[in-house]
Amino acid sequence: MRVVAMIMAGGAGTRLTVLSDKRAKPSVPFAGKYRIIDFTLSNCVNSHIYDVAILTQYRPHSLNEHIGIGKPWDLDRVRGGVRLLQPYQARGSQDWYSGTADAVYQNLNYLFNREADLALILSGDHIYKMDYRPMIAYHEEKGADATVAVMNVPLEETDRFGIMTTNKAGRIVEFHEKPKTRDKGTLANMGVYLFSVEKLAERLREGRKRKPDLDFGKHVIPGMVPTDRVYAHPFDGYWVDAGTVDAYWRTSLELCDPDSTLNLWDPQWVIRTRSQERPPVKCSAQAQIAHSLVSNGCTIHGRVEHSVLSPGVYVSLGAVVRDSVIMNDTWVGPGAVVDRAIVDKEVVVGSGVQLGHGDDMTPNQQLSDRLNTGITVVGKGAHIPASICIGRNVLIDADVDEADFALFGDNVVPSGASVAPGPAEISEEVGA
Amino acid sequence: MNVLAMILAGGTGPGLHVLTATRAEPAVPFGGKYRIIDFALSNCVNSDIYNVGVLTQYMPRTLNDHIRAGKPWDLDRAEGGVRLLQPYQGSPDGKGAWQEGSADAVRFNLDVLRESNAEQVLILAGNHIYKMNYQPMVEHHRMRKADVTVAVRAVSPHQTYRFGMVTADANGRITRFEEKPRRTRSTLASMGIYVFEARVLGDWLEGPGRSQRQLGADTILSLIKRKRVYAYTFEGYWANVGTIPAYYEANMALLADIPALDLSDPRWVIHTRSEQRPPVFLASEACVVGNLLCDGARIQGRVLRSVIGPGVVVAEGAEVRDSIIMNDTRIGVGAVVDRAIVDKEAVIGEGAQVGFGDDNTRNGALPQVLNTGITLVGKRAQVPANAVLGRNVVIGHGVTADAFPAGDVPSGTSI
Repeated sequence: MRVVAMIMAGGAGTRLTVLSDKRAKPSVPFAGKYRIIDFTLSNCVNSHIYDVAILTQYRPHSLNEHIGIGKPWDLDRVRGGVRLLQPYQARGSQDWYSGTADAVYQNLNYLFNREADLALILSGDHIYKMDYRPMIAYHEEKGADATVAVMNVPLEETDRFGIMTTNKAGRIVEFHEKPKTRDKGTLANMGVYLFSVEKLAERLREGRKRKPDLDFGKHVIPGMVPTDRVYAHPFDGYWVDAGTVDAYWRTSLELCDPDSTLNLWDPQWVIRTRSQERPPVKCSAQAQIAHSLVSNGCTIHGRVEHSVLSPGVYVSLGAVVRDSVIMNDTWVGPGAVVDRAIVDKEVVVGSGVQLGHGDDMTPNQQLSDRLNTGITVVGKGAHIPASICIGRNVLIDADVDEADFALFGDNVVPSGASVAPGPAEISEEVGA
Repeated sequence: MNVLAMILAGGTGPGLHVLTATRAEPAVPFGGKYRIIDFALSNCVNSDIYNVGVLTQYMPRTLNDHIRAGKPWDLDRAEGGVRLLQPYQGSPDGKGAWQEGSADAVRFNLDVLRESNAEQVLILAGNHIYKMNYQPMVEHHRMRKADVTVAVRAVSPHQTYRFGMVTADANGRITRFEEKPRRTRSTLASMGIYVFEARVLGDWLEGPGRSQRQLGADTILSLIKRKRVYAYTFEGYWANVGTIPAYYEANMALLADIPALDLSDPRWVIHTRSEQRPPVFLASEACVVGNLLCDGARIQGRVLRSVIGPGVVVAEGAEVRDSIIMNDTRIGVGAVVDRAIVDKEAVIGEGAQVGFGDDNTRNGALPQVLNTGITLVGKRAQVPANAVLGRNVVIGHGVTADAFPAGDVPSGTSI
């Protein structure tokens, strides 16, 4: 049996706000030194699947850079290895990928060229550790056309997932996408699908005629349930879709607990990533670090509590970082306090800045559905001027400059506000 | 630039004792995640020298495994790249055999030098910690049309007995070379880094110097009168870490607020083979002050002024002070480690005390190596729970708990 994995990495991930403004969601940093896609990729190679295609579309540069030729995952191979599949133009058609299944449809030739018997369709934005081999064995044992990995979720959360109802043999008899009623059982679709390639090709060709924006969860699986042999494979390990700011923040900070259910230290299941060459963490004589995850290349002079720090973060003397996620090479100035925030890469937090301050929990005015739990988010490369006080649920766009804060008087950015880069011409006029 | 670098990595490194019991000196871990040879190798590639031979002989396996095809240094190249040069069996024409010194090692690998078509050969030691751009030295060598250039640096008089001491004239040409003198008027020490004209070196080692063993004490000394031998002064940080006190001191120097050797300089990255490890985990009761901590370490206790390697576990209530702890060693609950070097994968049992008390009796078996109060624990050694070890103690590699005596282990003993 030849298994080819296809990882869906093209979605825009809008619910992560500025974190996925400049990069696809699978390449958002996670747990300090990793990126979200590392978990899926490591699952593949740890399951001895060395033939992996990654389907990209939205902002792929950071992802391309990260994957490279797949060296960190031992996927720089002569046979198999990792391939990045971008949308392409062909005679008579020039379509973007309009859905997950459509993306696979447009790359069916890839599966045929690889002489794949089975196609393992994965999502690049889930954080989980899963051995796919038992699922493959189960698929063959059942003689299935398609197998869907499922996990039990609490009954009150079933309206967030695709819910499967199975018979005694494990065959799926009903499929409900985000059911409103609570009587469909608790087996949730994890977005991990295994297809026999022949059947998949057949169903995709038919389906595409009817629906151009073909999606696995919404169309393909529900369409196959009545006619084909579709089985559910139960999984009970760690699985998280950190697709919202709040879920991302919580999932990250859970790693600071010693009994965190995601074990990154398992020598039998190493999560691999492209590691930059960085020196060890340096903590000075004044440093206080506890309850945290700190990556190579960090320099700590101040206090770090219950936080996750990516490589190269600098925490100056007298600064405090609390309940926060700070990404690569961000500089936290002397005396600054960062509380309950997600700070993207290469941000400058000026001296004496209060980032995430006060008890005012006003939701973000522009994104009240996404930023409402008190987390302040700062985009990549933003510069926050010294001594400014920033409230909760604030969104600071990527690349904003000191001057962009001038709109806010008294050096205070109130809770729920957003800071966006001003048009460059205006700031020049002001300067003139 | 057509230069071949040869890194001498075959010595037995007697000065590091248990640290070199299972590996060559250049493969000894340094600064947490690095190995000593990473500095010479990184200097080469940062100086645009991509043709490197590593001469091995003593316990090369760790070194082979570390360097492999040279990927971390971008030395896995079609042209040039890194080559591990092992000793080989002698042939009827007298080449090959075990190597007895640096000159001997280079002599047996002269064919590599000739095949490379290099004009100059840069001879480096595998046990130095420094950041040096070799380009200006090679330029200096070429400008003066030298046959040999010796890198030198100023040392204070009390250190001259450790070095080959050099005297140069106003043009920088070397007029005198003294091997490890107790008293000398010279202040310039040879760093053991040489640029040779490839042809000159080959002709000498196979001609008049065919019986010479050491490059410094024999070859340089005899070439001074016959060839153009120049000194090149280097002024940056440089440490020969061939002894336990020097190795310990060089590690501890990294902990300074502004260390003499900056590891985080983006323009001079020290490359190494990094393992895939998660970030450092610090539990809520952890206390870390003035340390270097490597990825994969898990800290639940107190760590003060120490270098902690990848994957080290410091359990609850344990305390590590002024120590070097290497990869995957486990410090048990409530154990205390003070002024010690603990090699990889060792286990310090619960409540054990390593480096205890004020008794600084020097080590009986190694009075010259261990007399400064540093305790050594070898690779995979197991210190039993509640054991008490004094100062200058040596626990050999792989020593198991049942080899320990019932009572305390007094200062200066070896197990």
